[in-house]
This record gives sequence, structure tokens and C-alpha cells, in this order.
Amino acid sequence: MFVYRQTSSGGACPVGTMCRIPIFKASSAVVTATIALATFSLAGCGSRIDFGPVANAKAASEIRTVLVAGAEAEGPADSDLASTGTGWATIRGRFEFGGTPPEMKPYNVSKDQATCAPGGKVPLQETLVVDSSTMGIKDIAIYLREAGRVHESAQPGSDAVLFDQKVCVFLSHVCAVTVGQTLDIENSDDVGHNTNIAGKKNTFNQTIPAGQTIAYRVQKEEATPAPVNCSIHPWMIAYLLPRENAYYAVTAKDGSFEIANLPAGEELEIQVWHESATGPGGALIVTTPEAKSLGWNNKGRISIKLQPDEVKEIKITVPASAFKG
Amino acid sequence: MSIRVLTNWNYVAAMLVMVAIAGCVEAESEPPPFRLDMMQVSANQLVPQHQEAIANIMDAMFGTPDEPFVLPETGLDLRKLKMAAGPTWSDETGTKHGLYRRHCAHCHGITGGGDGPTAMILNPYPRDYRPGIFKFKSTFNPNEPTDEDLHQVLMNGVPGTSMPSFSVLPPDEVAALLEYVKYLSMRGQMETALINYVVDNIDYDSVTGEAAPLDIVNDPDQREEVMSLLVDDVVAKWHEAAEFVVLPEESEIPPNKRSASELAASVTAGRALFYGTKANCVKCHGPTGLGDGQQDDYDNWSKAVKKFEDDTIALQASIKTDKSSLAELEGEEYESAKAELAAKYRELAERQRVAEGLLPPRNAIPRNLRNNMFRGGRRPLDLFRRIHQGIAGTPMPAGGPTAPGAQGTLTEEEMWQIVDYIRSLPFEPASQPLMRPLNMEAVVN
Repeated sequence: MFVYRQTSSGGACPVGTMCRIPIFKASSAVVTATIALATFSLAGCGSRIDFGPVANAKAASEIRTVLVAGAEAEGPADSDLASTGTGWATIRGRFEFGGTPPEMKPYNVSKDQATCAPGGKVPLQETLVVDSSTMGIKDIAIYLREAGRVHESAQPGSDAVLFDQKVCVFLSHVCAVTVGQTLDIENSDDVGHNTNIAGKKNTFNQTIPAGQTIAYRVQKEEATPAPVNCSIHPWMIAYLLPRENAYYAVTAKDGSFEIANLPAGEELEIQVWHESATGPGGALIVTTPEAKSLGWNNKGRISIKLQPDEVKEIKITVPASAFKG
Repeated sequence: MSIRVLTNWNYVAAMLVMVAIAGCVEAESEPPPFRLDMMQVSANQLVPQHQEAIANIMDAMFGTPDEPFVLPETGLDLRKLKMAAGPTWSDETGTKHGLYRRHCAHCHGITGGGDGPTAMILNPYPRDYRPGIFKFKSTFNPNEPTDEDLHQVLMNGVPGTSMPSFSVLPPDEVAALLEYVKYLSMRGQMETALINYVVDNIDYDSVTGEAAPLDIVNDPDQREEVMSLLVDDVVAKWHEAAEFVVLPEESEIPPNKRSASELAASVTAGRALFYGTKANCVKCHGPTGLGDGQQDDYDNWSKAVKKFEDDTIALQASIKTDKSSLAELEGEEYESAKAELAAKYRELAERQRVAEGLLPPRNAIPRNLRNNMFRGGRRPLDLFRRIHQGIAGTPMPAGGPTAPGAQGTLTEEEMWQIVDYIRSLPFEPASQPLMRPLNMEAVVN
């Protein structure tokens, strides 16, 4: 099966054999080689993705032995935190931005201009909102990782939480709820939205008609806030943090927060998160001396033990380098 | 030009081809290993010690591509998995082995990452099984598919994509492949669960490489928690899938025989919903139904890659900022800032290396509803399910309740009306210009 080419001398030259016109021959050989190379590189030889660790057979077989045996022998879990200590305590404080407050760009509104940018006024993004008068950082989520005891006031709520959207912006940019609570997803716009919650444990994607409210019951706890999008208006973004108990806070415009009635007398590990933080999964990592005194680690967590009825005040100045961009 | 030049060209070409082939033969003599999802590894800056520990636990729980293994808790049938796994060959009775590599791996990849050698040139990309998300299924949006759902995809293929039908294979071979797809999904989900477990619970420092151990042999608490990830978080969702099948209300299903006017009324109602703000189909599928509305969003798989790429760009920008502010520092502050900067450079290099191997993100293009080709099947029930639950892993939202007992947006009657309209769309002109009156003279003459 040869492909014949017309040569200038009038003869036909099968590709891959000697040919009177050198330039044809040369180029076809190069083409063949190139195609061959391209094919083989596509075929995964020395593939782009073949790196990273490979299991060690001996270590793996040791683990397997333990897993197979353990499945029969192991009893029920006893990993619940032992509840030590009595009484309750409060932690409150403020987060300030150390640097020039960043200017928020307008959202990239590409649809439904009349509703989403009324009068040509495009809403600003909220990736890092710093109040210029107080230097407070808005929308930092602070939450207890595990609780040995939970005060009555921090038990999972049964009331519905409003999650509204207007001018194609989610009105609660960072929203914390307890598992089992109902989120009333409202659409205050005159165009249809859909709300797409893409958590590691909670997923939801439903049409929210103009002017209507759809109830969504939050299913499971998340370790970090889950992104919430609208597929129709892809610039829309918010974060939903479902937790087992209400030991959480989201900083207000002036950067202030308060978590009340925390269990006193036990080691508390508190996660600090911000959507633009450079740490893994949005962990806010601060390495200043004041942060270090709180045991702030590279997962964006502080470790403290509170005395009964103590009100712990903390004030943290977060350097600009803790955020992306 | 002379003959000599020619010979040289041939020689070069031959050498190039030889080098390429030689490289491959060598690579193929080693059995292919399972690889970690390096995008997740890199995004979380896992230290080498944890990467190796995760690879070892994965091997202990799931074996290798040639020697699969499963714990009884998974409920997977090892006999079927062995039929599907390993290299491709036939024994003297004609029984085929290595079915996954024979039929699937070239697109879906050894690990099921949707990253086989042909993946890059296919559109849509082959499914990455590792998140356990499948688009065409009968269950509620967040739930895993049933065996019947996966079987339907294997039997029918996915129209309009590169996924063919495997209905010509003997039933036991199809069953083996189905089991293997579930195996790769559970394996991928477990890997992600393990990575998240390390990120959430184990201390490590990506700058120094120091880390607390992930050692489930010697730490019984860790072992228990890791087993709970497998049993409670991964396997349970597959086992309960059949309890989460969406069953349409019998009373709302349109009868097979409807009068022309009944059908027309339903199509008209469906059309109004399509264009209205309640169902809102028009926003994405476009005023003509050609799928040319909203096209800027991504599916979950592309979104993850996009995020990885965006974060890499942000890291690059922050390196630039850090570098310029380095000059203002001195003493200890300078030293620590310099060390941080060096760590960021290392992270950037690793991220860029990983990014090179990823499939470039593509926008999720809404289905063209006019070519009468529906990927999840074109039966009314298939279309009903797509509208009722949306399509998992994509921007397509649900019209119905997304969990048993939850609040839906549309009634079942409305969803069936949309089904009727969607089914009529391929046969409706894209526009309906006024007909020109016939040239009666020409007709008469």
C-alpha cells in the first residue's frame, strides 16, 4: 500500500522508497519520523503523567496483613474526645489587614446585564474585603475542630438560615450552618438562578426560579467551606460551612468575631480559614509573634486552653503575604 | 541535492523511530503501576513520606493493576476483578484475560483517571472514574450509580461521544468490566479520602519535609480512622445506591397513547417552561435549543484542573511580589523570607510539572437538543431523569428534589411536559419564517 506522488520528472514515487526528487524524500522521511514520535508520545511511552511514588510491595503487604486481621479483631471506636474540664469560656477578637487594602475588581458580568449590573453598575468581587477605616478583614471563618462538650447554645440549630441572592451576588459570601439545618435558598432577582454547592461531603445543584425560595437540608460536616456557584452566572461565588455544632464565627465588616460558651479546661484546636489564604484548602497561616503565642500552625489552626468563664481576647494583624495575589 | 543527503535524512528518521520504539518496549516490560493523583498531592503540598505511605495503603487495600485485591468490606467480587485486570491475553480455552486493558485503558487510563493515551484527542474527555461521579444514572444527584446504570452505559455506549457499546461482549465479560469500573472508582475515592485525612489530621511541613507519621500498622487509632473512611465514607455510598433510585410517580407518567391534541398541549406547556424563569432551560441550552446559551462554566473535572492552574498562576504572582519586597528586609527576617521564597519556587516547579500532564480544562457545553442525540439515552424516562436530577458533576441543575423528601422546583407533570418538548425539538425548525406564497404561475405552467 504505497502512496504515490507525482514527481517533476513525470514518474511516480512511492513514499518510503528512493525517489529522484530529494526534497520530497527528505520531507517525507522527516514527516514519518515526526508522526512516529508523536504517536509514541501520545501512546504514553515515557508518559507525561507517569511520576509520583509507587507502592513498596513489602510495606504494602505488611499493611494488608494488619488490615485483614484487624477487620475481625477490632472492637468499636473509642476515639471520642474525653471530656475533661468544666465550665464554659468565650473567645473573641479582631482580624486586621497589615498592608494597603486591596482594591476589589468588578465581577465579570457577561449575562443578564439589566439584572446583574443595573444601570451599568457592576458589583465588586469579595475575594478579600478589607474595611479601609478599621482595616478589618471580612469573611474569615473561625471554627472549633472537635468539641469534647457542647454547650446548649451551640447545639445544632433547627431554624432555617436565609441564603439569598440579589443582583447576581450571593448576599452571604461566607455562610456557616449546623448539619441538619435548612438553608432557605432565595432568589431575589428577576432572572432564574441555579445554586450549585460542591462540597467534599455535600453536593447540591438545583434550579432556583426568579423570586422563589427552595429549602435545602445540609447533610454532613465539612472540614473546610464548600464553594457555592451559579452555573448560569458563573462569576457568582459564595462559601458554605456546615459544622456539627455552632462553635463557629465569620468575621464581620470590621474583622470582629466571637465564639461563646466554648468548653473550658480542654485543649481547643480552632481552624482559621479565608478563601484567598495561601495555605492548603484556604488555611490562613500567620507567623507573626502574636500568632505564634496562640500556637498557630501551618494548617491555619490555633491551640488554646481556656479557664472557666474566661473571655479570651485576641487581635491578629494578618500580613498581606498570607493572601494570594 | 545528492543521494548522500537523502541517505542521511533516512538515517536520521530511522534512528528517531528506533529510539521512540526502544523507549516504549522497555517501558512496557514493567507492569504498569497505579499512580497517585499528583494534582491533589501537589495542591496539598504533601511531603514525600506521606505520598509513599498513601501509595502503600492504597496497594494494601486495592492491590496493583496486575494483582487486584479487595477487602471483604468493599463487597467487590475479586474473581470478576481478576478477569478484568492484568495484561491482555487469552488462554487455551479462548477465555480472555486483561479485559480492562483490552477495551478501556487506552482511553480511561490504568488508574481510571480518564487519562489514557488517547484521552487528549477525544472530546468529550473519557470519564475519570476516581471521584465516583457518573453522569447517566437513575439515582439522586449526589448518590452513586447503581449496577444497572453502569450496565446501561456499557450496553448502549454514550451516543455523541467516543464511548462505544460493549453489548457484543459475553455477559460475564461485561460484568467483569462493570465490577472493575466500580473498583477503580472506590479506589479513587479512597485515595482522595486518604489525602484529605492527612491534610486534616496529620502534621507536616512541606518546607522542611518534616512530618508526623501516617502508619496504620503501628497506630491503631489511625488504622481505625482509615478503615472508617473506606467503610463509612466510600463503600457505604455504593452499597446504598439502590435505595436512592428516582422512581417517577406512576400517576404522572404520560400514557403511551395520547391524542394529537393532548400531546400538542403538553409540548406547548413544555415549551413555555423551557423559556420561562422557573425551569430556565433557555439560559444554557439557548433560545434555539442548540446548546449555545451559557457556555462559560466547567464540569467538576475541568473545574478542578482550572482551579489548580489558577492557583499556580497566583503562586507565580506572589513569588514576584515576595521577590520585590525581599530587598527591604534584613537579618533574620530576610533569611526566613528567603527560605519561604525558595519553598514557593519548589512548589511552583512541581505544580508546573504536574500541570503539563493534565488535560486542558474545557468549558461544559450544554447539549444541543436538536440533533436527537442524548448521551444518557433518549427514552422518555432517561430524559425525565436528566431533568429531574440534573447531571451529576456538570452545571446542569436538578428540577426535582435532590434527596428523598426534599423540596423540588418543578412538579413531575411539568418535567414530563419538558420531556415532550425536548423530544419534539429535533423536528421543529430552528426558526419559522413566514412561508412565501407559491408562485402559482410557475406551478400552473
